[in-house]
Amino acid sequence: MRHTSLSRRTLLRGTGALMALPLLEAMLPRTVRAETTAAPRRLAVFYVPCGIHMAKWTPSAAGQGWALTPTLQPLAPVKEDVLVLTGLSHWPGKPELNGHHAAGTAAFLTCAHARKTAGTDIYVGISMDQMLAKHLQGATRFPSLELGNDAGTGVRACDANYSCAYAYNIAWAGPSSPRPKETRPRAVFNRLFAGIDPGETQAQLEKRRMYGRSILDFVRDDARVLQGRLGATDRRKLDEYLTSVRELEGRIDELEPDGPVCQPGEAPANTDDVRAKTRAMMDLIVLAFQCDLTRVATFMLGNGRSDRVYDFLGLSDTHHTYSHHQRLQTNYEALAKIDRWEVEQYAYLLQRLKAVRETDGSTLLDSAFVYFGSEVEDGNAHGHTNMPVLLAGRGGGALTPGRHVRYSGEPISNLFISMMQGMGTNVSTFGDDGSGPLRDLKE
Amino acid sequence: MRRQRHRSRGPEVWVGLACVLLLADCYGNSTQKVSATVPQPKPPSEPVDSNVVPPDPCRQQRDPGRVSLHRLNRAEYDNTVRDLLGDTTRPARDFPSDDISSAGFDNDADVLSMSPLLMEKASSAAAQLVEEAWKKHTVRSCELGAEDPMPCARELLSRFARRAWRRPVAASELERLLSFVTLARQEGDAAELGVKLALRAVILSPHFLYRVELDPAPASRTPHPLTDAELAARLAYFLWSSTPDEPLQALAEAGTLHEPGVLEQQVRRMLSDPKAQALVENFAGQWLYLRAVDTAAPDPVLFPSFDEPLRHAMRQETELFFREFLTSNRPLRDMLDADFTYVNDRLAAHYGLPLPGSEAPQRVSLEGHPERRGLLAQGSVLTVTSLPTRTSPVKRGVWVLEALLCSAPPPPPPNVEGLPPAVDPGASLRQRMEQHRSSPVCAGCHHLMDPIGFGLENFDAIGRWRLTEEGSGARVDASGTLPDGKTFEGVTGLRPLLKGDARLSECITHQVLTYALGRGLTEADTCAVADITRQAEAHGGRWQDLIIAITRSEPFTHRRGEPEGNKP
Repeated sequence: MRHTSLSRRTLLRGTGALMALPLLEAMLPRTVRAETTAAPRRLAVFYVPCGIHMAKWTPSAAGQGWALTPTLQPLAPVKEDVLVLTGLSHWPGKPELNGHHAAGTAAFLTCAHARKTAGTDIYVGISMDQMLAKHLQGATRFPSLELGNDAGTGVRACDANYSCAYAYNIAWAGPSSPRPKETRPRAVFNRLFAGIDPGETQAQLEKRRMYGRSILDFVRDDARVLQGRLGATDRRKLDEYLTSVRELEGRIDELEPDGPVCQPGEAPANTDDVRAKTRAMMDLIVLAFQCDLTRVATFMLGNGRSDRVYDFLGLSDTHHTYSHHQRLQTNYEALAKIDRWEVEQYAYLLQRLKAVRETDGSTLLDSAFVYFGSEVEDGNAHGHTNMPVLLAGRGGGALTPGRHVRYSGEPISNLFISMMQGMGTNVSTFGDDGSGPLRDLKE
Repeated sequence: MRRQRHRSRGPEVWVGLACVLLLADCYGNSTQKVSATVPQPKPPSEPVDSNVVPPDPCRQQRDPGRVSLHRLNRAEYDNTVRDLLGDTTRPARDFPSDDISSAGFDNDADVLSMSPLLMEKASSAAAQLVEEAWKKHTVRSCELGAEDPMPCARELLSRFARRAWRRPVAASELERLLSFVTLARQEGDAAELGVKLALRAVILSPHFLYRVELDPAPASRTPHPLTDAELAARLAYFLWSSTPDEPLQALAEAGTLHEPGVLEQQVRRMLSDPKAQALVENFAGQWLYLRAVDTAAPDPVLFPSFDEPLRHAMRQETELFFREFLTSNRPLRDMLDADFTYVNDRLAAHYGLPLPGSEAPQRVSLEGHPERRGLLAQGSVLTVTSLPTRTSPVKRGVWVLEALLCSAPPPPPPNVEGLPPAVDPGASLRQRMEQHRSSPVCAGCHHLMDPIGFGLENFDAIGRWRLTEEGSGARVDASGTLPDGKTFEGVTGLRPLLKGDARLSECITHQVLTYALGRGLTEADTCAVADITRQAEAHGGRWQDLIIAITRSEPFTHRRGEPEGNKP
């Protein structure tokens, strides 16, 4: 296998990590080759905390004639690739009494109402990215990537008796199983390219896989024997272990002799500077898509109810404090600065995706759905109507971008149904309130 | 009156009924909803017949509770591989972060879950750890003979698995481990490779990644003592956040560890070991919010003197302060007004104390500086309970109520407005707050929190002493009245009232026991908390007395199974 395909690594070596070079058919990874020549569709999600100041976000005109607003200004280079969707609702994110940030973040991609608990009985729903990860299982080495800037704070208190799990995760493999995110760029890189040894022969790789599986067989047997001696709660705990072993086993089987058909380049440095970190994470998403290591990636710019201080924007209070703006002009201005910076990072991702070409001459962005959103509309009122939503890319033809579409309260879950259908599933309902695809995404 | 404690944020439950009811009014007519989400104390039961003495629940058979299968958290994993393999690279920093439970600590077994991502990271870490340890000869207690490597492989693997799994290894388990050596040799590889595979399997096994405690009858609620090996692991992860060392494991295998004298001797030995720093970082770091010092972000324009060396000195101060209470066995209550602290030149200048003449923190006497005595006057605590631009009497009040008195009020009702901007630019923060809470619906809870915070208003948002507010120029009024009517003037007046508060000792027991067990406390633990507190107080109410009383307590030394079909 290794010698039957022309290794793109040879061509790319020394050209830098993220050069957008045209692919030749013979160099496509096995998983892509097995399909038709159409580029695979991909999903990226970009979550921002604490809502958006909508006055400076919403374009006044609908349709193709919309103009960039102060907050959306950074989208100028990719304006024709973006849909601005206003008027969508997200009622499942409404908490019992307070806890809008935790409940909203939990519902962000699940469109389900989170059970109010600070204990272990967390329950919300499966998220749309994980529906897709399951659908695409086996197509790529990683079913999905979960990334973010902030780990937990190490200090108690999340949001009004809602578990921190709700505020820290947007990807849910099951109603009680958040998929934790990675927050260190170098660790993400090492994970993406772990176990890849270009000098290894097919036989050596086979043996390495076999040894890896033998270790997993051993620990699985340990877990099974142990499970027989435990009570109900602990058996459930070990179920998580067994599930994880099973998934890791799949990962070993996906190890390819050639590794990914692209040049990983230098590993990014770990940094606490949110600007550098966000860029590194965006680069990693592009790299993972480019190398077809995954087709589903989610990113949290901050955790729900973020207390980040944007000192580099000249701001001294926390994001969450500003978001309770009390209708003060100074707070509006601070929020607009933060919002605009967030959109800038999203625009960076879009531009990067647009710079990578697939075999058919289209770009990564053409085949992608790139979703931008927040857990609430406005941080003061904690609204769940008129959510701030952007959707970029053409979804391989499922979208007609370059427009502002106004809705009248249709649920975001319907948008997700459209996106999931666009990604090749036949989902027709979703979450608490999704009943069918959303109108007007395509002209 | 017996306080009822739920598994939620235990502390919130101790709130006076008045606060909760008043808060209910904040929601208009939604009192019912409130009662569904805010745990409310039971009203005291009326004695119906004075001839019938109700049975004392603390005299009946106690429920020791049960700790779920405990996955090592990141700190525990790192310390464990340090002590087992000599690895100090802290590989778990790349693991996904651990959830923090409502009890406030990241070592709560119930919320420490396993995910595919974590398994993948643990698997890569295992491969790397074993390679490194092999190179450094850490695990190579013998040489694998070329002719017959099995005797050495057997000795090496049984020794390692015993340490890694914190218990003796069964013969059948050892045979399974040795089969990796056979496998490697069948494949034409060296025995060494097989041994390394086995070592990786040992530290990826659930017996390593979890602290396993077994019930003889997993479905029975009848309490039973832990095995000595299980007890050794509880002690080691409580005091060191790490695996038992050889002396502990030897005592466990000799079956004497549970004897009170032996146990006490071990606790004292462990507390004097440098590894007890884990208790400072992981327990005090979370109990007193010290970990938040690392991310505090005072406004650089308003507080230009706040920089990294100051941040570091603040955290060190409180860590060393707590450390001395532990190792020198000082009374818990003295943490509120101790006449010493630890400062370097930077922090001393910040506080207005004489410079000790050192970059490294020095123990200094606070003779002549009564305002700087005790936890409440430490920069770490004062900074993490402030906003970036100003002090927050509310946050400071909540900190005291939650961390020290276990009586934190519930979170504010939805959609309340924060503090409005000053109408009168010369008004003090206090005057603005008092205006703000003139509404009776908010006053109910705020009258619990605010006075404590007002008492600390002579400290600015980074803990400097002040007599006037920076922005408004208004004079600081640090007097106050606690809900019980006691009045005080400033931090020196507030301190003795808090130190004398009956809730303080029991609250600290509550916090330490929660951490020691790695589970949230429930109503069933009420008697144990009271007993432990009483025992510790009887010995002088010192830190080591408290810790020893905890390690002897029923919840720490016993466990039980759970009936099938029960929710956790």
